[in-house]
Amino acid sequence: MKTISTNLLATVALAGLMGACATTAPPQLVEARNAYTASNSGLAAKLTPTELHDAWLVLVKANKEFDEHGDTTMCRDYAYIAQNKLQLADVKARTELDRQKIAEAVKAGVVVRDSQVKSSRAALTSTREQLKEERRDSNAKSAEIEKTAEQLEVEKQARLTAEGRLAGAMKDLAAIAAIKEEARGLVITLSGSILFASNKYALLETAKTKLDQVAEALKAQDGDKRMVVEGHTDSQGSDRINQPLSLNRASAVRDYLVSRGVDSDKITSVGMGSSRPLLDNRNAENRANNRRVEIIIQPSHLSTR
Amino acid sequence: MMKELMMALAVLGLAGCTSVQLPADRLEHSEASIRGAEEVGASGVPAARLHLQLAKDQIDTAKKMAAAGEERSVLVLARAESDAELAIGLAREVSVHADALRAAEDLKAVRDRGTP
Repeated sequence: MKTISTNLLATVALAGLMGACATTAPPQLVEARNAYTASNSGLAAKLTPTELHDAWLVLVKANKEFDEHGDTTMCRDYAYIAQNKLQLADVKARTELDRQKIAEAVKAGVVVRDSQVKSSRAALTSTREQLKEERRDSNAKSAEIEKTAEQLEVEKQARLTAEGRLAGAMKDLAAIAAIKEEARGLVITLSGSILFASNKYALLETAKTKLDQVAEALKAQDGDKRMVVEGHTDSQGSDRINQPLSLNRASAVRDYLVSRGVDSDKITSVGMGSSRPLLDNRNAENRANNRRVEIIIQPSHLSTR
Repeated sequence: MMKELMMALAVLGLAGCTSVQLPADRLEHSEASIRGAEEVGASGVPAARLHLQLAKDQIDTAKKMAAAGEERSVLVLARAESDAELAIGLAREVSVHADALRAAEDLKAVRDRGTP
């Protein structure tokens, strides 16, 4: 405020001096006066008032010298110095403005960088969380895969064990029964003479030992497969006798197998009488072959019906 | 009588050649300003270089005038001083302005980097 008042007074005083000597002032003094007027209304008045004031003091001396003694060397020297000081005030004002711009740019840079750092940190945190989550998922999947692999191994071992047991059972079974693969399934044929006494359907004790092996072989089969026990007779005697005899014999075998652990829901019995002889019934040997019990292990596609 | 006249003339002659003593502090300040201007690179800035040279010339002139007893030597020294100070100001202005431009470019670069 003080500077503004001082400069205002200076301008008024300067105008008075200019009015008094305007017609004869040397060019240096005129230029200095004009320069002061320009600087006093420009950047220097705001940013470098001290330098402007210094210049004004010299300009006053130049004016005073001119006022008192006219266009002297001293007047011109003072005007020269005043011009330099005015120019310096302007230069320093522009420099100060640049310094302010630098400070503002640095400050703005810090703000932008802070913002970027915050943003980067947020992104980093997000990425870390994502990685943690992915790692958790990955671990879970690994555990699952491991578990599945273990299950597969257990199942594989179980299958191998079952296959081994089946192979062993089938091998034992082959020693006491005829085994044949047919369209209706795997057919295990047991001779009637080793299972039953003539015209009886009660199992012989010796038959039970053999049926124990049959039961083991059947239990070793795939759990989904269904089984049918068929009773067959020769053609001697009437169907009225042969039919129920064959059914009773089939049922006796089925019931015994169930008692030895074969799933009752998967095994049925049926009496075929003499309707399906293996050979003709003309001699005793053929008739003996026709008296039989067949256990059919149906293939999976038939078992599911 | 002649001898006395000769003595009086000699005294008068000596009095006419009496040197002016330049203010030591202002002379020192002016020379320091010249060195300062050179240090801040005034020689590399055309306008500053001009005022630097003017300052140097005027110091020499002021010294010669002082030796010759001219009173104006003090004002010529003041002119030199103002030229030296102006040379410093002009050189600094160029340097600081370059810094300001660089700061603006740096800020723009920082802002651009932050834009995905």
